[in-house]
Amino acid sequence: MTFLHLSFYSAFTLSSLGLAFHRMHLISALLCLESMMLSMYIALSMWPIQTQMTSSTLMPILMLAFSACEAGAGLAILVASTRTHGSDQLHNLNLLQC
Amino acid sequence: MNPQAKLISATSLFLGTSITISSNHWMMAWIGLEINTLAVLPLISKSHHPRAIEASTKYFLTQAAASTLLLFSSMTNAWFSGQWDITQLTHPMSCMLLTTAISIKLGLVPFHFWFPEVLQGSTMTTCLLLATVMKFPPITLFFLTSPSLNPTLLSLMAIASAALGGWMGLNQTQTRKVLAFSSIAHLGWMTIILIYNPNLTLTAFYLYTMTTSAIFFILNTTNTLKLSTMMTAWTKIPPLTTVFMLTLLSLAGLPPLTGFLPKWLIIQELTKQGLTIMATTITLLSLLGLFFYLRLAYCATITLPPNFINYTKQWQINKPTNILTTTLTTLSILLLPLSPMVFTVS
Repeated sequence: MTFLHLSFYSAFTLSSLGLAFHRMHLISALLCLESMMLSMYIALSMWPIQTQMTSSTLMPILMLAFSACEAGAGLAILVASTRTHGSDQLHNLNLLQC
Repeated sequence: MNPQAKLISATSLFLGTSITISSNHWMMAWIGLEINTLAVLPLISKSHHPRAIEASTKYFLTQAAASTLLLFSSMTNAWFSGQWDITQLTHPMSCMLLTTAISIKLGLVPFHFWFPEVLQGSTMTTCLLLATVMKFPPITLFFLTSPSLNPTLLSLMAIASAALGGWMGLNQTQTRKVLAFSSIAHLGWMTIILIYNPNLTLTAFYLYTMTTSAIFFILNTTNTLKLSTMMTAWTKIPPLTTVFMLTLLSLAGLPPLTGFLPKWLIIQELTKQGLTIMATTITLLSLLGLFFYLRLAYCATITLPPNFINYTKQWQINKPTNILTTTLTTLSILLLPLSPMVFTVS
């Protein structure tokens, strides 16, 4: 496994662990989601360089478009939850407990 | 909700589902899943109630993380095998990560924690969408990659889902949460047979969708969100409660109703493969589901409420019953004699 693979795996893993173990604020979870998307973007951009297949240069652009949409949706949800729950603290998301 | 926004959401749901189920490249599958997630978020949060916003937050975080994990697993597989074909998933770490990602999307144990809360926070129609349509693309991806998946992991998750769906559903009084746990239990049944006969997974899914849609439509007609409301629901449309009881028993898997067919075929296939202990375990665990379905049927049809009702039927309310309700309930009660057709088709 080359250094590139290691850096990509560790970036993605650290971001996903950050998303899984988010403690206080919703926005930190959204940031970790964005960094997962960023590491995926870098990995997908390396793909046409490694395989010398320029037709797959479309893939990072496509992924970026959808991750931008998702980021926008996440921020809209952040604003909506701040309006209804008062803050973006995750302690307050307890209305739906079993 | 704004009709144009509803149209865009509905069209995007169809588009996302079609893209994923007809895809050969992992990128297209991921795109379809993303479109589905983005399209259903306004449907969950359209009432701007705090519970709805909280449900949409939890839904968004889990689904987005699962989609990214799916893309990561396909990227890993592409690095090791050089291709992005969905049916050619070969690297074992990719297979495990893919199983995890799709389990998060479906709500299999141990990734089920978001599912009852999200269903509790949305309206009945949105619950129907979340429990049936949103499960279809991930199950399709399971179907396409089923030869490469790890049997031990899938069997463990399936039996745990059946167990947890049964046990957690016992203590619920809100009907949407009961249906959420019943969904988790049925997903366990669908997953246990995936390696051995993927066609049975799809058959179980289609019959489960049909029966659950019937239940959701009935609950939407009588507008019962909790068990205490269900006790007076029989006064609204008396024949509907009878049909409700039969549909619930079909969902529980009792012969001679339709819901028996997937369970029968799955037990037969598991026994043929020599996994009799697994078949016995999952059958015994579905008895827990039978208990809370019977409790729902009991509350709806057999008990009289403690308040004094001196008329047998309420003053006529002009709420037209959905035509789909009658079709789906008929199908979910009477379809068992057509079971030889399932043998010849699948």
